[in-house]
Amino acid sequence: MNAIALPPAIGQPLVRVDGPAKVTGQARYAAEFTPNKLAYGAFIQSPIANGRLTNLDLSMAKAAPGVLDILTRENCPKFPPYPEEMTKPGAPGENRVPLQDDRLHWVGQFLGVVIAESLEKVRHAVSLVRINAQTEKPILRTDSAAAEKTATRPEKWVGQEELQVTRGDIAKAFTDAPNECKIEITYSTPIENHNPIETIATTAEWTSPNDLLLHESTRGIKQLQKVVAHAFNLQPEKVMIVSPFVGGAFGSKGFQWGHTLLAAAAARLVRRPVRIVFSRPQMFDSAGQRAHTEQKFSIVTEKKGKLIALRHATTTHSSPIAEYPEPCGNMTRMLYSCPNVEVSHRLVHLNLTTPCPMRAPGEAPGVFALECALHEMAEKLGIDPLRFRLTNYAEEDEFKNLPWSAKRLRECYERGAKKFGWSKRKALPESMRDPEGNRLGWGMATAIYPAKQQPTAAHAILTADGRLTIQSATHEIGTGTYTAMSQLAANALGLPLADIHFELGNSEFPEAPVNGGSWGTASVGAAVLGVCAELKKVVRAQVGSWPNDSEKLRIALKESGYAQFEADHKAKPDKGAREKFSFQSFGALFVEVKVDSLGQTRVIRATGVYDVGRILNPRLARSQIYGGTVFGIGMALMEATLPDLRTGRIVNANLAEYHVPVLADIPQFDVEFLDKPDPHMPEIGARGIGEIGIVGAPAAVANAIFHATGKRVRDLPITPDKLI
Amino acid sequence: MNPFTYSRANDQQTAISGIAANPHAKFLGGGTNLIDLMKMGVEHPEQLVDINRIPLTGVEQLPNNGGLRIGALVRNSDLAEHELIKSNYPVLSEALLSGASPQLRNLATTGGNLLQRTRCYYFYDPAFPMCNKRNPGSGCGALEGYNRIHAILGQSEQCIATHPSDMCVALAALDAVVRVQGPKGERTIPFADFHRLPGDTPSVETNLQPNELITAVDLSALPVAKRSHYLKVRDRASYAFALVSVAALLEMDGGKIKSARIALGGVAHKPWRAHKAEAALAGKEPNEQAFRAAADAELAGAKGYKYNSFKVELAKRAITQALGTVAKMA
Repeated sequence: MNAIALPPAIGQPLVRVDGPAKVTGQARYAAEFTPNKLAYGAFIQSPIANGRLTNLDLSMAKAAPGVLDILTRENCPKFPPYPEEMTKPGAPGENRVPLQDDRLHWVGQFLGVVIAESLEKVRHAVSLVRINAQTEKPILRTDSAAAEKTATRPEKWVGQEELQVTRGDIAKAFTDAPNECKIEITYSTPIENHNPIETIATTAEWTSPNDLLLHESTRGIKQLQKVVAHAFNLQPEKVMIVSPFVGGAFGSKGFQWGHTLLAAAAARLVRRPVRIVFSRPQMFDSAGQRAHTEQKFSIVTEKKGKLIALRHATTTHSSPIAEYPEPCGNMTRMLYSCPNVEVSHRLVHLNLTTPCPMRAPGEAPGVFALECALHEMAEKLGIDPLRFRLTNYAEEDEFKNLPWSAKRLRECYERGAKKFGWSKRKALPESMRDPEGNRLGWGMATAIYPAKQQPTAAHAILTADGRLTIQSATHEIGTGTYTAMSQLAANALGLPLADIHFELGNSEFPEAPVNGGSWGTASVGAAVLGVCAELKKVVRAQVGSWPNDSEKLRIALKESGYAQFEADHKAKPDKGAREKFSFQSFGALFVEVKVDSLGQTRVIRATGVYDVGRILNPRLARSQIYGGTVFGIGMALMEATLPDLRTGRIVNANLAEYHVPVLADIPQFDVEFLDKPDPHMPEIGARGIGEIGIVGAPAAVANAIFHATGKRVRDLPITPDKLI
Repeated sequence: MNPFTYSRANDQQTAISGIAANPHAKFLGGGTNLIDLMKMGVEHPEQLVDINRIPLTGVEQLPNNGGLRIGALVRNSDLAEHELIKSNYPVLSEALLSGASPQLRNLATTGGNLLQRTRCYYFYDPAFPMCNKRNPGSGCGALEGYNRIHAILGQSEQCIATHPSDMCVALAALDAVVRVQGPKGERTIPFADFHRLPGDTPSVETNLQPNELITAVDLSALPVAKRSHYLKVRDRASYAFALVSVAALLEMDGGKIKSARIALGGVAHKPWRAHKAEAALAGKEPNEQAFRAAADAELAGAKGYKYNSFKVELAKRAITQALGTVAKMA
């Protein structure tokens, strides 16, 4: 047996198994499935932010070359409301199905679909639709009186997390505290967009009058199947969704369903398959986004730095047809030890497109405020910001009153500080310079992200030639699912990687959750390990044994006379453990920034040490942290979606003016994982790493900029104008 | 994008007669800006005349030490990496390399860059009701809107857009000359006269006449240009338009400044030649104080708006820093 054929170890830095397919163009994305007689759809979109649609003048569009038909309210199927569990308050979905009424709620809202013979023809034809509407004054500012009238105080986030929390006597803590021991500061973050490189695409094909085939860029196949089947009054299995590759999601491609329904309705209308691909501007106005947040943060401490009280009051927004609040305060409930805590969330409804989760929803903007406020308090007290955090280290989750499943944050701080050289930091702002005279700043922040697990099932087929296929309706959104799951299965069964075929992205496969919440590896991994164990049992029962050598196994399988062996498994979180422990991942991020006299900030280096449980594949894991940190640097320094405050039109809905970091903005990275399994997570003890990389990065950068310049910028992004 | 017809011209005359027949025809060079604007619905030419086959791709030395002639179809990347540009006009090479991305520079042409249109948000979105460039008389959407990237010098109440080119800022400092061919023959336009301030007619951006084709940009032999530098301030390290940029040249005489040439980008409707700063520097010793005083003089008449007032101080600092860099050059 040669070395390559050995089963891979857990912790081996395998390269992506789907890498060659991706770089050679063999990996097919939703817009690359081309059924016969494919037609092309394009959305008619609302030009105004608030009002009523009077009528659509379609005469010119209908006469344009190549136009097949136009789907509008007049000829759209009557969709029932979305399933209730997906649209209840706090859930990320919209509560209004498309094309059922004449209300206009934001610029870009879908008003119909033009269908034509080619992409070029349909894009031209859609520009010929004349939209007549009654305009009303839009509500566009969270601080307006009109917005105040829409304000609510949401109780829960996605049906689980409590958004209004009080413990201790917060009022007394503030009344009693001397001025030198308290601060009250407001932070704000702008609307941000996910901007995956693959824009959203749907190819809808009715393979029979009651069978719908969708090729869709989604990270929530099973949920989408439910939504579409419900809308068209079909059994779920009559809606087949195929999505083997998704070109990035970051929180998009999960909860905005209207476009899929309309693509399917358009395909039914013209009795041909229809493909709709979002333009880049549509990724800004119709694909979800992170809401704007304003966060009022108050802290009271003892003179030596022990926290007495934390108050974190968030105002955020949603559209008029959704109730999703950005849950900024959730980590404030328990990241530090503090007897008096008040976390509140207020939601206003604006005439802007519907927000939804975006990588580390709540944690990214919320921990920005928390970690900046702590830094500011430490500065005020004259305490080193790292020591300040250690002083307030939470030995247990004081919100849930539960011990941590495992917490090695102290080790993250210590390792990170050592690697970064934190002890050489000069405490005073503006005290460090590079040889060219640019101001240098060192900042740090804590990273935290919940470690979750969702029920997930998998099916395994082992053929007599020793090849294994495992299926689960999960997704490859670029994080490395194919690789990680193949690696797990190969390791569990002692098979060479080349004999493992992991299949995902198909609604006919067993149930898997939406890819989100950083729970992919823990959830799907548990199903894969479970189905491998089941498969061993099946083979043992039918063959007599499971030889640990893959060659011997092959011979035994062949000799058994069976053509193949199948097994199923459904993995669920350990309810007992979930009730006994609080599951969180942790990390400490240290950054160095350079700020020049023109206000330009560059992050020079970033040192992060993470306690995220066992690392399955360090190459993939590091990529997640690099990507997450770069995401956070973008949030800190440049990203902002700007809806014009008079019209609600997003003025920078393109990648030239909505800035994300380019390669030259990316620092030198030093990322380390403690790589200790979480004993209460499923078998391998991995907690998930998709989102923790962004958490902490905006605050670490903002804190470093303060250290460099003496200027505290509390309103992201920190662009040159704010440092001049 | 609207339907349009496409034809290809292999020589200048065919190109010019090709668009002369149709007032809604346009030349197609690299297409990096025009095609984008067509997709956005800002430009809707009925006909495109592709000029890429016309042999205007050379960088030639003019006789009798007369400088350089840059063909209108020389790609930005080729020009930036050209040996004579790198050694004799570093400010131009630096300006080119600070613009766009390698992919765009590989396509974008010298002539086309002169005609690059503003990145004003309100110009770029044809659904936005107000824009005096797109719809003369409709008003300026940026005045009361997001105007962080807008002009602080030479603007009018009709338009506060900026010119987005980096290359043009360097060419302004170098006193380039634009050669154009029209139905009536060839003429030259001094660079300072090529672009216009908005005034009451922001929709008219250059003094190029209808049916004229840019054929070349001439640079005079300018030994002083060896001491030159382009400084660009932006929101990220690459692929971002200038918040402010400075092209600077210094001619020294003994220990003193004999003459300075300074042009600014990101601050005006055209590449802004900083004559006041130049005048303030003549005869001065090259030190930070003099540079800052010159910058103050230039920006004395600047006017900022809600989101772009920072550009006044930023421009001053950028001028001071760019001149400092040039002064330190051997």
